Amino acid sequence: MKRFVVFFLLVIFSSSLAFAQAKDIVTEHYKVSGNCDKCKKRIENAAYIKGVKRADWDKNTGDLALTYRPSQTSAQAVLQHIAKAGHESATVKADEMAYKNLPHCCAYKQTGKH
Amino acid sequence: MMIYRNKLLLSSWCLLAGISAFAQTDSAQTKKLKEVIIKQQMSTTRTSLLKPMKVDEIGKGELLKAACCNLSESFETTPSVDVAFTDAVSGYKQVQMLGLAGPYTLITRENIPDVRGVASITGLTYTPGMWIEGMQLSKGTGSVVNGYESVAGQINIELLKPFEDDKLLLNLYQNTQGRSEGNLYGRKEFNEHLSTGLFVHGSSQWLKVDQNSDGFLDQPLNKQFILLNRWFYQAPKGWEFQAGIKGVYSSNTGGQWGYSSGGEQVTGRPWGYELNTKRAEGWAKIGKIFPQQKATSIGLQLSGVYHDQDAHFGPRIYDATQKSLYANLIFQTIINNTNHVIKGGLSTVLDDYNERFETMPLLRTEVVPGAFVEYAYNYLDKFNAVVGLRGDYDNLYGAFITPRLHLRYAPFKKTAIRASIGRAQRTANVLAENMGYMASSRGFAFPVSGSVFNLRPEIAWNFGLNLTQKFRLNYRDGAIGVDYYDTHFQNQVVADVEQPGQVSFYNLVGKSYAHSLQAQLDYELIHNLGMRLAYRWYQVMTDYTSGLKEKPLVAANRAFANFGYETNNNWKFDYTIQWVGPKRLPASYNTGSYYSPSFVQMNAQISKAFKNNLEVYVGGENLTNYMQRTPILGAGDPYGKDFDASMIWGPVMGRNIYAGIRYAIK
Repeated sequence: MKRFVVFFLLVIFSSSLAFAQAKDIVTEHYKVSGNCDKCKKRIENAAYIKGVKRADWDKNTGDLALTYRPSQTSAQAVLQHIAKAGHESATVKADEMAYKNLPHCCAYKQTGKH
Repeated sequence: MMIYRNKLLLSSWCLLAGISAFAQTDSAQTKKLKEVIIKQQMSTTRTSLLKPMKVDEIGKGELLKAACCNLSESFETTPSVDVAFTDAVSGYKQVQMLGLAGPYTLITRENIPDVRGVASITGLTYTPGMWIEGMQLSKGTGSVVNGYESVAGQINIELLKPFEDDKLLLNLYQNTQGRSEGNLYGRKEFNEHLSTGLFVHGSSQWLKVDQNSDGFLDQPLNKQFILLNRWFYQAPKGWEFQAGIKGVYSSNTGGQWGYSSGGEQVTGRPWGYELNTKRAEGWAKIGKIFPQQKATSIGLQLSGVYHDQDAHFGPRIYDATQKSLYANLIFQTIINNTNHVIKGGLSTVLDDYNERFETMPLLRTEVVPGAFVEYAYNYLDKFNAVVGLRGDYDNLYGAFITPRLHLRYAPFKKTAIRASIGRAQRTANVLAENMGYMASSRGFAFPVSGSVFNLRPEIAWNFGLNLTQKFRLNYRDGAIGVDYYDTHFQNQVVADVEQPGQVSFYNLVGKSYAHSLQAQLDYELIHNLGMRLAYRWYQVMTDYTSGLKEKPLVAANRAFANFGYETNNNWKFDYTIQWVGPKRLPASYNTGSYYSPSFVQMNAQISKAFKNNLEVYVGGENLTNYMQRTPILGAGDPYGKDFDASMIWGPVMGRNIYAGIRYAIK
């Protein structure tokens, strides 16, 4: 029981500690192509590379809110990784093979937006 | 692309989704029911901030964390529900919410009452986990639309729908304790209107296991076969029909190692347990949305159950037949706008019980027609109130009214405070609900034998207060939930085991209450590593003839932690650890009342999904191999007065390693 409480506090404490150190952090917005919830999962999963704290992609606006540590990675690196998964952005074209393998609903070049 | 089906109408009608549901109905109508459905992938458990009642949505991902086997095991990662063995012979488990036994929770299948009556305990095993699309769990008295019975809460189970998701599912499971299981599911859409789903389940416990060497099988040999077929018909002009049938065949043989089916039950021969069940169910739902009148719909739910079981616990025979019919007609509309939603309707429950325990026949035919009305008010996203009232007439116990009130207030965007108060009434099925005590030499003592034992219906008031706070810390989402529930019984059918060798049933004289406090924290520690920590505390007290005492075999304290990690290449790791506090044991012939030791249990599972839709999983339950050493008192002389297999406070079975596959055709 006691150990449980200590563990609980430790988790909270370590999380907030990490938060306090997080000076080196920026949030930026990028347009990334995609259509559906499947794309959302793909884009966000691809965005989580080392140094990325959070990635939220909005399927209605195509906006990717990207929070990362500039000391560890760059937006360009993240967008390249996303493009490798088949989703392109203004600066990085999608990988041709990856695009072809996208789930049906993500084929943004043909259908455009719903 | 999928055609939008307004499954809302039939499946979520009665679920208090209220406001959010109506928003959907609106859009469905304006877009003439032709809309791409974008399904929110709900993988694990979520609690909405918007619904007027606190509802934990338990998704498929959560259910898959416990690979085996049926509803009673589906709650292993849900801190709100305790799961415990009813006795050391039958192998059945029962769920417990707010410190109250399983039958106090209303368990519905797509909002039709399902696990009740003679199947109050055994019924949990009739829904294999793989058939379930999701569950909604709410504590406290729910909506009056679903009846007057729910004292502790409601668990609603949604089965897989024949017009969405995987076309074929195959699941095979094997564990080291000799249990094999197979599930097969297939669906077919004939056209955009008509679809059907077929569910098949077969399982067997074929190996005799006695890990504690007391001469009794830890769980009976078992064969179970379940078949379910459902149909959906989406007709033009807002009509929708669905129907289903389900058949269950289950056979259990357990008890002492040497017992074989049909063996004579006299001193000197092996003590045996058998429970053979045949059950058939049928249900239908008919619904219509009126496209002209906004958010107006009418629906009828019908169901019928035939349940027949033959059982004996040693020389004690328990045979039961139940025939039940249920009808619920619901009309809903709005006043001016969707901020004022009104539901009203009529319902009838008919239960016919024919039971025989030892030499005593027990018959009960109960018919309860009723009417209800519920008004839901919504002010922006800030405030909700749901006021419900129903009046029912019970042919045995007379008329009664059931008022219920639910309030929700959201002072901030990520905060919801909810309160609820309500009355619940139910007629106890004394034998079925206390079947565990049959696995003992305890004499069953009733106030007066006869048709209803002179026992009155159970009446309880439940009051609840809860807080849900979502937060984002260090760019990751989390939620804190704290809830407090207080159940007060005005009358209760007390099962008193304080006197050795006896279980007496009588109407409550004095007080009986259950206080429940739970705190839960969900947080994503690092990307894709989810954590859930929970602690809950119960105080369940009842006035027995021997005085006010803590209810036996209920752990006042329980702590729980679950960690789930998912990699990008589809590996999943899940780990649950829980600490269960001491439980009070009533006095036996040899000992006074004492407390059981607390114990720790661990479960873990690893699964890997491959590209070709094959998923393989391996896991272990009760990894600490902690067992209650002597689950059966007087095991050496099962026909003697000391024999008692119902005093179960800990795991009866030791470590269990399992493996299985799931294969899907999308």
